[in-house]
Amino acid sequence: MTNVRLEQIAKSYQAGKPVLKPFDLTVEAGELFFLLGPSGCGKSTLLRILAGLLKPDSGKILFNDTDVTDFAPEKRQAAMVFQSYALWPHLTVFENVAFGLRAARASGKVIKEEVTRALEIVHLADCADRKVPSLSGGQQQRVALARALAVQPKVLLLDEPLSNLDARLRDEMRVEIRRIVKERKLTALYVTHDRREALSMADRIAVLNQGILQQTGSPEEVYGRPANRFVATFLGDGNFLDGICKTEKGVLKVTTSVGTFQPADAGSFMDGDKVTLLLRPECIRFTDAAGDNTFAAQLKNGVFLGDHREWFCQAGDNALTINESAASRRDSGEYRLAVAPEHVVVLKQEC
Amino acid sequence: MKLRSAGSALLIAVLLVFFSLFLILPVYTVAKDGLDPALLAEIFNNFLYREGLINSLGIAIVTTFLVTLIALPPALLYDRFEFPGKNWSHLAIMAPMILPPFVGALGFQQILGYYGVLNGILASLGLERIDFLGGEGKFFAVCIMEALHLYPILYLNLVTALGNIDPAMNEAAANLGAGRWYRFRKVTLPLLKPGLLAGGSIVLVWSFTELGTPLMFGYTRTTPVQIFNGITELESNPMPYALVAVMLIFSAGLYAVSRMALGGGASAAQTKGVAGSAASPLSGWKKWIPTGAFALLTGVAILPHIALIFAAFSKSWYQTILPQHATLLHFENALSHKVVVPSIINSLQYSVLAMFFAVAAGLAISIVTTRWRCKGSRLIDLASMLPLAVPGIVIAFGYLGMTVHYRWARLVFDPINNPVWLLAAAYAIRRLPYVVRAVTAGLEQTPVDLENAARNLGAGAWSTMRKITLPLIAANLIVGGLFAFSFSMMEVSDSLILAQKAEFYPITKAIYELSQILGAGPRIACAFGVWAMLFLAATLASAGLILGRKIGAVFKF
Repeated sequence: MTNVRLEQIAKSYQAGKPVLKPFDLTVEAGELFFLLGPSGCGKSTLLRILAGLLKPDSGKILFNDTDVTDFAPEKRQAAMVFQSYALWPHLTVFENVAFGLRAARASGKVIKEEVTRALEIVHLADCADRKVPSLSGGQQQRVALARALAVQPKVLLLDEPLSNLDARLRDEMRVEIRRIVKERKLTALYVTHDRREALSMADRIAVLNQGILQQTGSPEEVYGRPANRFVATFLGDGNFLDGICKTEKGVLKVTTSVGTFQPADAGSFMDGDKVTLLLRPECIRFTDAAGDNTFAAQLKNGVFLGDHREWFCQAGDNALTINESAASRRDSGEYRLAVAPEHVVVLKQEC
Repeated sequence: MKLRSAGSALLIAVLLVFFSLFLILPVYTVAKDGLDPALLAEIFNNFLYREGLINSLGIAIVTTFLVTLIALPPALLYDRFEFPGKNWSHLAIMAPMILPPFVGALGFQQILGYYGVLNGILASLGLERIDFLGGEGKFFAVCIMEALHLYPILYLNLVTALGNIDPAMNEAAANLGAGRWYRFRKVTLPLLKPGLLAGGSIVLVWSFTELGTPLMFGYTRTTPVQIFNGITELESNPMPYALVAVMLIFSAGLYAVSRMALGGGASAAQTKGVAGSAASPLSGWKKWIPTGAFALLTGVAILPHIALIFAAFSKSWYQTILPQHATLLHFENALSHKVVVPSIINSLQYSVLAMFFAVAAGLAISIVTTRWRCKGSRLIDLASMLPLAVPGIVIAFGYLGMTVHYRWARLVFDPINNPVWLLAAAYAIRRLPYVVRAVTAGLEQTPVDLENAARNLGAGAWSTMRKITLPLIAANLIVGGLFAFSFSMMEVSDSLILAQKAEFYPITKAIYELSQILGAGPRIACAFGVWAMLFLAATLASAGLILGRKIGAVFKF
C-alpha cells in the first residue's frame, strides 16, 4: 500500500491568479480520501497534478517517500477514472480494460486473468466483447473503474466519477466504489463537489476553496466541527448567529441577539472574542424549557421533504431553518427552541 | 419545423429535379454510352488505355500517401502545442490552395526542368544535369505537385478531427502507462480515422481524376488526358464515353474502398465530452520547432508558385539558378493577348452565375437537411455530397453527352455557340458540397429556438428566414459564395472540356492555351497565373477573415 504526500504544491494557469496556493497534505495508505469543494476550487487540478497530467509550479509529490513530481504520467502508477470516463470508442470493453496491461507488455495469460478479474469486480464480466458506445452510463463508469483497477495502481484517482449518473445509480455506485477500494486495499483520492458523496464514502475529507485547503478531517469532523463558515455551509445547511464570548464562573459562553449559548467545546476562543455560532437545522429541537441554549422564535411556515420536514422560523433578525421528523405537525406561532451544548459550534467571525 | 406547406414540398421537388438534371442525368448519359461490354473490353485489352488507368491509379495512391505524410505532422503539432505565430502558421500552410496545381506545374517545371534551377545548381557544382521530368520523372512530378496542392484539404480535416478528440482519451492512455508512440498508434490514430477518411477519400478521387496537372507536365498516359484528347472525335468515337464510365466506376470504387479500409469510423467520431484544448505551451528553444516546421513546409509547398512569380517577372531564366533581367513585359503581354481579357470576363460571368446557383441550391439543401429533416432530406443531403465522388471530368463529359443526345440540352447548353449556362451549371454543381457544408455549419450553430421565437411572435416562415435566419448565417453564406466563386474561377476539368471556342475560354483554359504557345507563351501564362493567384489569395483571405478558424468546416465531409 502507498501513502501520498503533497508538500507545498502550488499551481497557476495565469500569472497572479493561483489555482492552488501552497499547502501540505498527507493521504494514508489504504485510505479513501476525498477532495471536496465547489467548481473551480482547484480540486481537479490537484488530481491532474497527482496523475502527472499537469506540472505543479512548485512543491513535491511523494508516493511512499519516492519523489514522483517529475515522473511522466505513464511512470506514476496512479490510475485515474476520468469524469468523462475517457473510454476509447474504437475498442471493446475488454480491450479498454486491457490497454494499460498491454502498454506494460504483460503476457496474454496475465492480461486475460487481470481483465477478467477487474471486470468481475465491477460486475461486467458478461460485457467484455461489447463496444463502449453500446453500454449504459453506469456500465461505462464501471468499465472506467475496471480499466484503472486492472493495472493494479499504487494510487487510484477518481475525478467526479459519478457526476454523469442518475441519482439511483449514483447511490449504488457509492457503495460499490467504497467496497472495491477497501477490498483491494487501495489508496484512493476522490474528487467531488457533492457533499453527500463525500460524507457517505470518505475515510477523510479535504475541503478546498479558491485553491486554499480549508480543513482536513473525518466526515464527522468536517461536518460537526467545521473550521470556518465556508466549510460549514459547503458541508451542510446551517443557522448562523453572531455573538460575543463571555466567561461566566470559568465557563465560556456566547451571547447573541436571541439568547446565551454554552458550547461544549469553545476551542481557543477567549473572553471578548467576536464569534459566529453554527447551529445545524437537525440539532435544533422544539422545547418548553428556558435558560441557556434556548431561545424564542416565531414559526412562519414549513415544507414536507419526504424523509423530514423543514420549518422556517424567525428569531429576532435571524431567519432559521429547523429539521424535524416527517411525521411532525405544527401550526405557525411562537415557540421555544433548544440546542444541546455539544451541537453548538463556535466559529471565528468573518467580516 | 415540420414540412407542412405546399411550398416546402415544391422546394424539395425543385431540388430533386435540380439533382436529376445536373447530376444524375449527366452520369446516366455517360454510363449509358460508356457501359458497353465491347467498349469496356477494348479498354482493358488495349495497352494504352490499360496503362492510362494504371498510371492514374498510381498517381491517386502515391499522391494520397504523400498528402498523408505531409499533412499529419503539422496537424498534430497544431493540435498539441502552443507556439509563436500559431495562427499565422495555420493560415500560411494553406497557401498552396490559392492556385490550381496545373498552374503551379509551370513553376515546378522551372525548378526541376532539365535547364531549371535544380539542374542549374548541379551544373554550377560541376555535376551532370539530371532529367528529373523525363520518363517516369513526370509521374512523380505530377504526384508531388498534386500532393503539394491537396495536402491542406487533409490537414484541415485532421485538425478538425483532432479538435474533436477529448484530450482525456490521450491522458487516460498516458495515465495507464502508455508511452508517446504507443498512445499515437493505439489511441490517436484510430480516433483520427474519420478525419483521415474524410480528407483522404477526397484527395484520392481528386488526384485520380485530375486532368490539368498531367496535361501541363505532358504526362499524357493517364485516363483523364486520354479522355480530353478524345473530345474532338466524340460524335464518331464512343471510346471516351467508355473511358469516362470506367473512371466513374473506379472513382466510386476507390471512394468505397477507402471508407472500408479505414473502417467505418462512426464509433470513433466525436469523442469530446468536455471543453478543453490539449495544446500545451512549449518553452525555450523548443517552442520554435513547430513554427520552423510550419515555415519549412509552407516554403516547400509554395516553391512552385514562387518560381512561377519569378518566371513571370524574368526576361530569361534558362540554364541559370536565378532568373536574369526583370521585366514587366509578360504582364503587359498577358493583358494585351487576345484571349486573356475576354477569358477574364468569361470567367467572371461563369463564376458569378455559378456562385448564385450554388448559394441558392446550397441554402435550400441546408434548410431541408438541418431544419425540416423530413422524408427525402437524407437523400438530398447525400445527393449534395455526390459531386465529391463523381469526378469533374465525368460531369463535364456527361453534359457534353447530354448536348449530343438531347435536343433540349443542345438548345440550353450549346457548348459550341453559347456554353455560358453549361459552364455555370458545371462549376456550380462541382462546388456545391463546399457551399452546403459552409451553410449547414452556420445553421447548425444557430439555435433553432431563435427562429421559433420569431414564429412564436407572429412572423411568417419567409419573414423569419429574411429577418432572423439569413442575417445570422450571413457569414457562412458569404464564405460559401466566395468559395464557389473563387474555385469556379480556377476550375480546370470542366473548363478544358466544355469551353471549345477561344471566344468562350475561361481563365484556366486561356492559361493552358498560352502555355502551349512556343517562345514567350509559357512566360505569359506564368504572368497570367500570377494575376489569378493574387485574385484567389484575396478571395480566400476574405473568407478566412470572415470565418476564422471555422474555415475548416467547409472542407469537412
